[in-house]
Amino acid sequence: MAPIASKLYTDDVSLVVLLLDTNPYFWTSSSSSSLSFSHFISHVLSFVNSILLLNQLNQVVIIATGHNTCGYIYDSSLSSVSSSISANESSGDAKMPAFCSEVLKSLEDFVKNDESLSSVDAGNGVGSSLLSGSLSMALCYVQRVFRTGPLHPQPRILCLHGSPDGPEQYVAVMNSIFSAQRSMVPVDSCVIGAQHSAFLQQASYITGGVYLKPQYLDGLFQYLSTVFATDLHSRKFIQLPKPVGVDFRASCFCHKNTIDMGYICSVCLSIFCMPHKKCSTCGSEYGQAQSDASTLSGQKRKEPS
Amino acid sequence: MPQVKIIAKNFIDMVASLPAVKLDMLYANPFICEAILRSLPPLAKKYVLQMMYIDAPIPAKSLEEWVLPDGLSKHRVAIDRLIQLRVLSETVDRKKETSYEMNKKFQINLQKQLIHGGILPREPMASSSVILPSSEELEIYALEQWEHFLLHLISSNQSEKLTNFSSSMMKVFQRGLLSQRDKEASRLTEYGFQFLLMETNAQLWYIIREYIANAEERGVDPANIISFLLELSFHETGQAYNINTLNEVQLNTIKDLSDLGLVKLQQGRKESWFLPTKLATTLSVSLSDTATRKQGYVVVETNFKMYAYSTSKLHCEIMRLFARIEYELPNLIVGAINKESLYNAFDNGITSDQIVSFLQQNAHPRVAEKVPTVPENVTDQIRLWESDLNRVEMAPAQFYDEFPSKDLFEAVCDFAREYGALLWDDSKKMQLVVKGELHNEMREFLRRQKQ
Repeated sequence: MAPIASKLYTDDVSLVVLLLDTNPYFWTSSSSSSLSFSHFISHVLSFVNSILLLNQLNQVVIIATGHNTCGYIYDSSLSSVSSSISANESSGDAKMPAFCSEVLKSLEDFVKNDESLSSVDAGNGVGSSLLSGSLSMALCYVQRVFRTGPLHPQPRILCLHGSPDGPEQYVAVMNSIFSAQRSMVPVDSCVIGAQHSAFLQQASYITGGVYLKPQYLDGLFQYLSTVFATDLHSRKFIQLPKPVGVDFRASCFCHKNTIDMGYICSVCLSIFCMPHKKCSTCGSEYGQAQSDASTLSGQKRKEPS
Repeated sequence: MPQVKIIAKNFIDMVASLPAVKLDMLYANPFICEAILRSLPPLAKKYVLQMMYIDAPIPAKSLEEWVLPDGLSKHRVAIDRLIQLRVLSETVDRKKETSYEMNKKFQINLQKQLIHGGILPREPMASSSVILPSSEELEIYALEQWEHFLLHLISSNQSEKLTNFSSSMMKVFQRGLLSQRDKEASRLTEYGFQFLLMETNAQLWYIIREYIANAEERGVDPANIISFLLELSFHETGQAYNINTLNEVQLNTIKDLSDLGLVKLQQGRKESWFLPTKLATTLSVSLSDTATRKQGYVVVETNFKMYAYSTSKLHCEIMRLFARIEYELPNLIVGAINKESLYNAFDNGITSDQIVSFLQQNAHPRVAEKVPTVPENVTDQIRLWESDLNRVEMAPAQFYDEFPSKDLFEAVCDFAREYGALLWDDSKKMQLVVKGELHNEMREFLRRQKQ
């Protein structure tokens, strides 16, 4: 039997990696009040169905982004129809489509696992979710697909994110963004929280994806199907939301604060919010052996862009 | 049946050509809606998805706002296609504003799909009650059936195993591919030769098309067959499906399909069931021009020798179209491409490009990785031999003879020379040849001279 990779792909075959925010702190907070988690999931499931409907070779992977961990929830290439039927039979739940019950079940397992990993008192305010982790998982998956052969679906990543950014993940997130850029994988982002996300703005801006913060979350499905279901090929012809402004602020490496201005190491470009005598990342010492001339170059101001 | 240039693009074109009533009937079947959606151009797919939950007609102007100026031609193509398939209906109101509305049945069926996800047309039988052949076995079976059919198609006397197709049915398939002269053995036509060199999917599609076109003569509604075939392509390969779930038309169809290798029929103690093969499930894939690659078997060497690692008689027949077969060994056919064999092929209307692409597509895996797959000197020579045939160009000319006098002959010669149309003349025999286009003027001139 010819492997699926030996088929010639038409240009709209896509692989969509969905990153779902399952952070319990976000979903229980007031900022998510306009959209409950169950509604959110039903919008997303319909969206996944629509992607799979558009082309028989389309592939969807769902990765959950939790508070402490992240994990694969669903992979459309693995779940053949027959296996899901047997799963359906065993659960005795005939009314729910096999695909939905499969996703919900693994989502439940994931949330439980996430809860068990949480430390005792992390619950001060709305915690951020592990975006860097799920982004890297998505990129790993994409890399694996790239290696299956010369013919593969066009990958893209879609982040459905609500929790606020965690400045402590700045470096990891930026690294993921740059590797996505390098492998030409657009990162689309749909922000369902109250505030804009600087990370995702930058991610979409750098990788050429679409950033959108829907106004009315009740119609999330329509937003998803109108904007984010567009395959990469059609994007050349379609009006898509344009970025209104991107928050390029960085986090400092020392205190993980988001800063407008700071100091950067001339050797390794690490960012700090206050002057240091020695770079904590690369270990270069500033302004001691050499006199004033080097202090100037050593403590450049980071330009806010 | 018109002499179609064999590749009538796809299924969907055929669906689109159905009358409106039939088409609306087809959309009652969710699988057809799905297949239609998948066959659309990417932009059209997107529009359908975008309009899925909009019940009111959408003005054309707001549709155009969705696209960038660059994409306007694509937009037109997409909208035209949607209207052609009656997915969108166009209405023009009093103010000359065009608006589109989606086909209700189509919309509702797809909405269901969105909520419930992909469903199977029918449940496969429990694997405990049937013994399933492995996917390799099934594929081999499918290809064998298909080859039997093809062999039977091109030379009825050669295949030892007869298919169940009635001879009249077979005639329908052969129409256009074979030319029957009275009492003589039938010969392949130009299209027949081209047909043999096509890919399996394209061949299959041709046959299916004829089969559907012929349905009406057999008293079957073509729409039923189309819907069944589309439905079949959503079945899972290699799973068993109970035959009792089919209605009568489908039952008849499936017997024919098993002859083509699209399904395998099996019988158990109590029930019988069918297993769709790869050929059936790729039928809808071929809608979107997706080709499946088969394992190749041909090696061509720079000395024009051709080795085909194949046991198939059909392959041997195909080779014979353009090469001289030297030996037939149990698993190997050795042949040589030479001038005579190729001239034979060109006479039959096969082009050099077809031969070269056949050799490339069916290259043995060992050589398939090499670039070029077929040695350049061989492909060049094949093309050269073809262009050799086109070396001489024919142009009409007129031959004039039996002039009454030398003077007249000379005058005519001068006249023709003036126009630069004199090709040849012989003053002793008083003969000349002039370009055909000058004939009328020449006649006029001669008449004037006679007076």
